[in-house]
Amino acid sequence: MNTSTARARRDQDNNEGTGNARLRPGETSAVQGVNPRITAGIRYATDGGIPGEWHLRIIRSSVPAGRVTGFQTALLDDEIIFLTPDDVDAAGLPAFGCQIADQTVLTREPKFVGDAIAAVLAPTLAAARIAASLVEVSYERAPAVFDEMAAIAPDALLVHRSHATSESDSAYFDMRPQDGTNVCHRFRIRTAALQGRQEPNVITELDDSDTALADAFAQADVIIDEVFHTPAAAHVPMEPHATNAQWVEGRLEVVTGTQTPFNMRQDLAHIFGLAADDVRIVVPPMGGAFGAKTFIRTEAITALAARVSGRPVRCVLDRDEVFNEVTRHPSTVRIRLGAKADGTFVAKRIWAYVNTGAYADCGPGVAQKMGYAGVGPYRFEHVAVDSYCIYTNLPPGGAFRGYGAMQSVWASERAVDLLADRLGIDAVELRRQNLLREGDTFCTGEVMHDSHFEELLDDAASAVGWEKDGDRAGKGVAIMLKGMQTPSKAEARIQLLPDGRYEVQAGTADMGQGASEMLTRLAAEYLKCDVDQIVVCTPDTDRVPYDTRTTSSRSTHMMSRALADAAQDLLQHGTVGHGYVSNDGGLDPDTGQGVASSHWHQGSAAASLDVDEETGVITLRTLYASSYAGKVVNPHGADLQNEGSMILGLGSALFEELQFSDGQMTNPNLSDYNIASALDVVSISHKVMQIPGAEVHGLGETAVPPVPPAIGNAVASFGYHVTRLPMTPERVLAAAPSHEQASPPVGHIQGEEGA
Amino acid sequence: MTWIQPTSVDAVVRARAENPEAIIVAGGTFLGILVRAGMLEADDWISLQDVRELTRLQSLGDLSIGAMVRHRRLELDEDVRGIWPGIAAAFRAVASPRVRNVATVGGVLADADYASDPPSMLVASRAVAEIASVRGSRRVPIEELITGHYSTCLEEDELITRVIVPRPQGPAVYRKLRTRSQEDRPSSSVAAVVHQGTVRVVVGAVSDRPHHFADLCATWRPGNEDSAREIGAGYAERIEYIDDNRGSAAYRRRVVAVEVRRALMQVSS
Amino acid sequence: MNLALRVNGRTIHADVEPETMLVDVLREHAGLTGPRVTCGVGLCGTCTVLMDEQPVSACILMAPLAQGTEITTIEGIPEDDAVVRCFDRHHAFQCGFCIPGMVLTGRAMVAEGHAADREEIREGLGGNLCRCGCYLKIIDAIEEAAQ
Repeated sequence: MNTSTARARRDQDNNEGTGNARLRPGETSAVQGVNPRITAGIRYATDGGIPGEWHLRIIRSSVPAGRVTGFQTALLDDEIIFLTPDDVDAAGLPAFGCQIADQTVLTREPKFVGDAIAAVLAPTLAAARIAASLVEVSYERAPAVFDEMAAIAPDALLVHRSHATSESDSAYFDMRPQDGTNVCHRFRIRTAALQGRQEPNVITELDDSDTALADAFAQADVIIDEVFHTPAAAHVPMEPHATNAQWVEGRLEVVTGTQTPFNMRQDLAHIFGLAADDVRIVVPPMGGAFGAKTFIRTEAITALAARVSGRPVRCVLDRDEVFNEVTRHPSTVRIRLGAKADGTFVAKRIWAYVNTGAYADCGPGVAQKMGYAGVGPYRFEHVAVDSYCIYTNLPPGGAFRGYGAMQSVWASERAVDLLADRLGIDAVELRRQNLLREGDTFCTGEVMHDSHFEELLDDAASAVGWEKDGDRAGKGVAIMLKGMQTPSKAEARIQLLPDGRYEVQAGTADMGQGASEMLTRLAAEYLKCDVDQIVVCTPDTDRVPYDTRTTSSRSTHMMSRALADAAQDLLQHGTVGHGYVSNDGGLDPDTGQGVASSHWHQGSAAASLDVDEETGVITLRTLYASSYAGKVVNPHGADLQNEGSMILGLGSALFEELQFSDGQMTNPNLSDYNIASALDVVSISHKVMQIPGAEVHGLGETAVPPVPPAIGNAVASFGYHVTRLPMTPERVLAAAPSHEQASPPVGHIQGEEGA
Repeated sequence: MTWIQPTSVDAVVRARAENPEAIIVAGGTFLGILVRAGMLEADDWISLQDVRELTRLQSLGDLSIGAMVRHRRLELDEDVRGIWPGIAAAFRAVASPRVRNVATVGGVLADADYASDPPSMLVASRAVAEIASVRGSRRVPIEELITGHYSTCLEEDELITRVIVPRPQGPAVYRKLRTRSQEDRPSSSVAAVVHQGTVRVVVGAVSDRPHHFADLCATWRPGNEDSAREIGAGYAERIEYIDDNRGSAAYRRRVVAVEVRRALMQVSS
Repeated sequence: MNLALRVNGRTIHADVEPETMLVDVLREHAGLTGPRVTCGVGLCGTCTVLMDEQPVSACILMAPLAQGTEITTIEGIPEDDAVVRCFDRHHAFQCGFCIPGMVLTGRAMVAEGHAADREEIREGLGGNLCRCGCYLKIIDAIEEAAQ
């Protein structure tokens, strides 16, 4: 493509964008010419608005818990529209939430610093900012609880008075709220011999003796019992949340950066009492999401403002608001791992305490995945997991690249190394000895298929020159499995256009992972045509068929198959082809038995590094990840996803941490909260493991979870037993061997020798 | 609101004397952050962008750096790199090339941000600021100029016009300890400059202002590890530390001892 | 105040308060979407523009400071530019939000001979953040463009 046609295409994209009152499908054939993402030839939701729209600013609680007793608005200009919970009541808007119906569009009872309590609407952004600064709010403060262990304590004050499970499609499993506690969901795994016991509903102490299940460890000669922590972290999409909404002849139209267009449609229809068909969600390309742009964020308040004002309305969050909008769940994970003296794993017990903040969001789902990912790709006779999704007065936790697996894999893979040291067995060999292989049964009862854990482990170990029983100073490995959204549905449609090209209509949102490129390449392959014969329409719920959502690295796997069906259908039946796939399953919330995932994300990582023993500074020599991809659709995209996951994992391992003071986030900016830069990636290399003829696997998150424990295990090889992420120099020094009572190279290991 | 762009130092200091409330804009990086965040408001601004005489950089004899000389120029200038390598290193350590293209020498001193890289090196290099006002001009050593967190001894009608750095006779080293991303600001910074057999060690970024203890430096025995360790321990002991995202006070106390020792051994070799 | 700024070879007029940031003038008065606001503190580089060929942070640059200079945004870079083409060839992007800033930064590095090796390129990119984590391919692209 020469420059002039590239320009023409860019202009076409510009005209499409988000600016038109009547939205037209876009073309983002991202394969040919200079990609418009390089040259600012695409429009994000932040770039365009609806002509005539007013600007919304949200007024946020400055207290972590309490009640709003009044607003002083005397200084506001007459033209300013001021929205309060009264407007929510007047409109009769019900509570909502993707898994638990615990949120309101604006609240009188704020539950975290930053909770939306009112909003101002003004003709310009500057006027809206001034107006927001002129509103004074009075509060009656209430006591608050921030730590997950404090919030699960028997006498903890309750963040919500009751638990109300959501009717949304996003509540795809049975909820187990624990009445009278802050636990909005409890997920358990109990393998066969451990089911049906008399047990307490909630285990609130980290040193609980677990008498009901203690016999699971009867055959263990050695038991490791250790607690690990992961802090809240920020997604930091470079593009902030941006929403444009308007009402057109009784229909709600929302242009917004979201990974969940169909959940959004359903939830907004529920809130505004509309049929799903009367809500239209259009999703321009996103400038990053990483889980931050899932479910309702700014969309409901923007839609309400548009309804009250009778105008189109735009809402773009400031960076500090993006930080507070949704976070990664802070978590405390206790691991009990038992093995025989020869290294054979016997039993695993996990207690995961998942701090979901003020609202559940998808925390119950995160808690479930944290629960089973912590078991790891290993064989056990007995597994018991308790994972608690716990309310506190912090900002809500939500989906975050790695989706719970990061927190529990950090704990479980560190525990495997502690066990290896204790047994005097090489850490790679100990893993190899216990890995799940083809045909083995996972703790959920699922029989493993397409398993490649051993190749992944060997690949990672060799990347750092691991030698069996050799000197492993500064080296560490980790391996993990992670599930994909199950159950879920994906539909795709392909339409032959009058000009002979094909339009792909699919709900997969493009947040930078290359969705439109993936769809273009696959459609061309299935239709046996050139890529320039394919156009991909912008996800628009009026134009594309249903898709569960763009999360959990499911889209390449699911949508590729739906698209293949659609192509087949089209080739057989004329001008329009439909494709539909579903993966069925789900886990019993009380036993964890069932189908966790229709296929497994499998990955390993290895690190080799130095620790400055005087400053605690870690210098990476090699950071390597190996991820199983099955068949690769787009080699560049696969590299980028894998590298990006590693780089996120590196930040989580070494420096990313949201900090709070009395519930108020103290570092909601990129100066006080660091993310990895080009200077931090010197040591990175990776492999995308492909198998010819295999099915397509997602790769969006696989390399996130194994990176922190690989680094942690390498750091621990020098005797620094760090249990809390991130592994700042300060924490490394505090974990130095000289600070410990015991002299062995690994730190304090609880638990006792068995027989 | 007014924005004026005088073309001479005389005009700037007259404008400043007439309107002490007006804010001086040099590179505008720090001001830009404050203004954008709504933490600084002003009716009147005096911009130095057209004052050509403030952009002079002269390296005959002592180094004379006009207040509007950008960080990037010091970092890349051949003479500065060759003769004042410590100065080049400290300015090069600031943020990104993008910030260094705009940030000025006068600005970084007037801001007196504790986490900036250059002040410790300027103090270690015995640099002096030349300050002008309608009342005349005066010279102030950088260690007296910066008096605390974001505070200087500048009177409200005064302007930093240039910084003079003596020609060093010995080696210099700038050590920046980062505890998070490699593009982060320092958790501690240590500048050490040797001059005629004596050393000036200055510790920055750990406290409200850079710290130099001449009596401790006077005990230095070049190349002697014990001497370096003792001086490091002395610095660690005497400074009152702050806590921030880049390190706790306790951590900083611990690493200052190490970093001072390492800096002294580096300038010994 | 009335500002006249040279942007991508044409003159933009804007009647703004002095404390208006350059990025807002470019987006709101010049209709350019290449410079973007992410961090608001000059740290991340999505607002990067070239001012007299040097990268600067438009999100914290008070617009009057750009008077008398030549501002270049990604929209002023031809698509056959070597750095742009290398970004495309190496597929050095994911979401694309940071990429115009990366391209402009890379372009200045290449033009000035500050892209001699990967270490120098990393150094030059230190203040341009990419949350998708495309750094390795971005470095590949700039390395090739410098040759």
